[in-house]
Amino acid sequence: MELPENPNKDNNGYESAEKIILRWDSTASEEAREKMIFETDRHEADLYLHAVDEIQRSLSNASISNNTNAAAAVAVDDQSKVNSTIQIAMARLEDEFRNILMTHSSALEADSLFDPSSSSFSASSHHELEEDDSVSNEDSSHNDLLRLQFQHCESSDSSTFRSTSSIREVDLMPIEAICDLHAIATRMISSGYLRECIQVYGSVRKSAIDSSFRKLGIEKLSIGDIQRLEWEALESKIRRWIRAAKVCVRILFASERKLCEQIFESVGTDIDDACFMETVKGPAIQLFNFPEAISISRRSPEKLFKILDLHDALMDLLPDIEAVFDSKSSESIRVQAAEILSRLAEAARGILSEFESAILREPSRVPVPGGTIHPLTRYVMNYISLISDYKQTLIELIMSKPSTGLRYSGDQSTPDMEFAELEGKTPLALHLIWIIVVLQFNLEGKSKHYRDASLAHLFIMNNVHYIVQKVKGSPELREMIGDDYLRKLTGKFRQAATSYQRATWVSVLYCLRDEGLHVSGSFSSGVSKSALRERFKTFNAMFEEVHRTQATWLIPDTQLREELRISISEKLIPAYRSFLGRFRSHIESGKHPENYIKYSVEDLETAVLDFFEGYPISHQHLRRRSQ
Amino acid sequence: MPSTEYQGISAPLTNLGRSLLPLRRDQVHSMESPIGGSPSNEVELESFQRQVADRFHDLASVPSDELLSLPWVRKLLDVFLCCQEEFRVILFNNKSQVKKPPMDRLIADYNERTVKALDVCNAIRDGIEQIRQWQKLIEIVLCALGGDSNSSQRSLGEGQFRRARKALIDLAIAMLDEKDSGQAVAHRNRSFGRHNNSSSHSRDPHHRSLGHFRSLSWSVSRTWSAARQLQAIGNNLAVPRGNEVLATNGLAMPIYTMGSVLLFVMWALVAAIPCQDRGLQVHFNVPRQFPWAAPILSLHERILEESKKRDRKNACGLLREIYQMEKCSRLLGELADSVQFPLSEEKEKEVIQRVKELKLVSDAMKEDLEPLEKQVREVFHRIVRSRTEGLDSL
Repeated sequence: MELPENPNKDNNGYESAEKIILRWDSTASEEAREKMIFETDRHEADLYLHAVDEIQRSLSNASISNNTNAAAAVAVDDQSKVNSTIQIAMARLEDEFRNILMTHSSALEADSLFDPSSSSFSASSHHELEEDDSVSNEDSSHNDLLRLQFQHCESSDSSTFRSTSSIREVDLMPIEAICDLHAIATRMISSGYLRECIQVYGSVRKSAIDSSFRKLGIEKLSIGDIQRLEWEALESKIRRWIRAAKVCVRILFASERKLCEQIFESVGTDIDDACFMETVKGPAIQLFNFPEAISISRRSPEKLFKILDLHDALMDLLPDIEAVFDSKSSESIRVQAAEILSRLAEAARGILSEFESAILREPSRVPVPGGTIHPLTRYVMNYISLISDYKQTLIELIMSKPSTGLRYSGDQSTPDMEFAELEGKTPLALHLIWIIVVLQFNLEGKSKHYRDASLAHLFIMNNVHYIVQKVKGSPELREMIGDDYLRKLTGKFRQAATSYQRATWVSVLYCLRDEGLHVSGSFSSGVSKSALRERFKTFNAMFEEVHRTQATWLIPDTQLREELRISISEKLIPAYRSFLGRFRSHIESGKHPENYIKYSVEDLETAVLDFFEGYPISHQHLRRRSQ
Repeated sequence: MPSTEYQGISAPLTNLGRSLLPLRRDQVHSMESPIGGSPSNEVELESFQRQVADRFHDLASVPSDELLSLPWVRKLLDVFLCCQEEFRVILFNNKSQVKKPPMDRLIADYNERTVKALDVCNAIRDGIEQIRQWQKLIEIVLCALGGDSNSSQRSLGEGQFRRARKALIDLAIAMLDEKDSGQAVAHRNRSFGRHNNSSSHSRDPHHRSLGHFRSLSWSVSRTWSAARQLQAIGNNLAVPRGNEVLATNGLAMPIYTMGSVLLFVMWALVAAIPCQDRGLQVHFNVPRQFPWAAPILSLHERILEESKKRDRKNACGLLREIYQMEKCSRLLGELADSVQFPLSEEKEKEVIQRVKELKLVSDAMKEDLEPLEKQVREVFHRIVRSRTEGLDSL
């Protein structure tokens, strides 16, 4: 676009250039104020730019000739006039610059942000949380742990953001606008008006980014605001932030960077950088204020997984943040992002530690009816199953062993854990095992609130069995816990089963023993009828009591229930059958045998099926032996 | 220890309430020894009070032209960081006491206050950024009028003055308090007449974008208020009662002290630096018995007085450099309005003088703004860290 050089017409060239500049002086005429050159006419714009060039040229000529020309005074006058003209031109160009920018500075286009084709948002499905069934929250009033509700983490947003897995720059404005801006910027900067240029650019582009932020749902929340919000509300804000942040860093900021590079191409060192930072520093800080506030917020167990999500998202974004903000002046942003990341990690660690303490301290005393699975057990096992889903992240984050219980303290009021057998396990695995240890410790304490020792054993059996099932049900969890410890747990619930049987059935089966029934050492037929009747009566009473009580007890796991019943039957039925076989004749030969031999073997077999169903039974249920 | 002696001491306490706290050494002794409080931490606690007092005495003993200057504010933040660090050490040394009630509640209260201070830190960061924007406008003025280092002795022509005037007007608008910004645009025409005397300023995209720009610079929502935040920080900040001091083995005192220090520092920051809804009506009710009460109350009074002065009433921040910037730029603007071309030698000298003054302010700001920003961020980090530590130890 260079005009042919015509040194002979120099003066004329200057004069006509000056005329053009003065014509467009917006302080001088209404018309100049109302119209914008670059909106009017391509030709007008070109003319104007040439005029500016001409004036600039004569300025440098004047300063050159100043050094050589003797009539310096005259030249100075000219120079002042030229300066004045330049200033008018620069003021005009500044307005034009601003105007072009504002025309093309709306929020990012919807189709750059949103993906119209996809209809549902794919939540990371492996982070779905189990619905907690049959929770009995007797202590819910003062126990945060029990009050927790797991929800399915699905997004209900109807639109989704475009795939943002890597940096993708979009065109923020048409190429003609960029060329015009470049043309103007070049001239402003070569006349020493760089600062005005940066200021205008920054202020207009910042407002565009602000609009995009609003479209992306990025809010201006203070730390106080975030502290006051309910966790559920925060969870959805975190989800939204993660999606928005990806768009911001990979599309929005990256595109702004590209725009700066285009407009300020080869215009001077680092000017594109200065403009980029001018534009983006504030919004970037605003963007990062949110995860920073989350990382500072009070720690409680339900926050762990969202915080890990936030951590992972930020971790994923970090290389792109470093790529987009790679200059010296943007160091503070990179630093802030890294700081937030490490705070989130710290928060995760703190939450895990807090979780462990909370399990230990969980104070509910009211025993779960029927000796079934305690809500605490469900909650903790669900929680650590989820932890094993986040294994990849947590393995990196959790670096130290659980602090309590590392040394055998002999103190009965705290659990302990032997680490000899746990060589070679990652700290995360140690923590998970520790959590199970602490859980069991707490459950032991709870079992002591049952008045009936049998029920206490049943309770332990149920809960430890549940722990084992949950561990077996999750391959990652099982791999971390390890089969050694799993065996230990299995042994524990089997032993509880044995303890239960001993506690309940020893005394019942005692009724069916041989000794004490034969009298006077006589070998042939000396059976004490009265003793025998006593035995039958006692047995019946005991069995009825046990049957009535333990039918209301519950073993939720079908297989375990069956196994225990079979085990009971295996001891009870043969003993009764043999007892009946040996001594029924003696009863039947006496009066009212039906008072003593109430039940047949089949009756007992049927009765055992009532055990551990969790339902009370009516007295008539036990069929009397009919004769 | 005869029981009658003890009874004699406790009776006036309950009658006279908070003013008769066991603050004097003799009373502390007589209170603590019969109860069996540890004399060991008494030295520590007293030393803390003294340190705080000394530091604030230093801050208070500056002449009025240094008060609320950038270096002074930086010193204030240093003082805060030192006090906070010592406080942390005290808590660490008295770990066992820290977990017992009522200490745990007192610490939780303090932590709540510090969290509220975090938002103030963020608001101040925004304010510093705003000041930086003004400083950039000043650079344009300096560049135009030959105040920057790389312009040679150029003669000052009409063009340069126009350029400077434009930037000065932008600066004046930018520096007006947000609530007055609507009126400001109207006033703009009166003080710097030549540039724009049409009534179409509202259509002027330049002014529109300037006003717009201001509201964008806050990173908090429109409802956030620095005044309210300060009130919240000072909420329930009361001198500990006698029984609280006893129950916490004297530790309630440093907590109260630190709370007061925090409140004052945040208040002073809000007074100095522009932020959204700056209100300075926080009350400081510190009993004079505390050795640091006098300097803090005196500073409070002086700063309040400054805020009520006629030429500072509507300032968006009491920072001395802001005042200087506003004054210098206003004078320069008036001068620029009044000159006629060609410049007389006298006028030129005057302009050069004003430009020199402006440059001094600008350089001072350039030097201190970034370190101040870093310090504010450091305060933010320390507060977060001590809170995390507090959470862990609980």
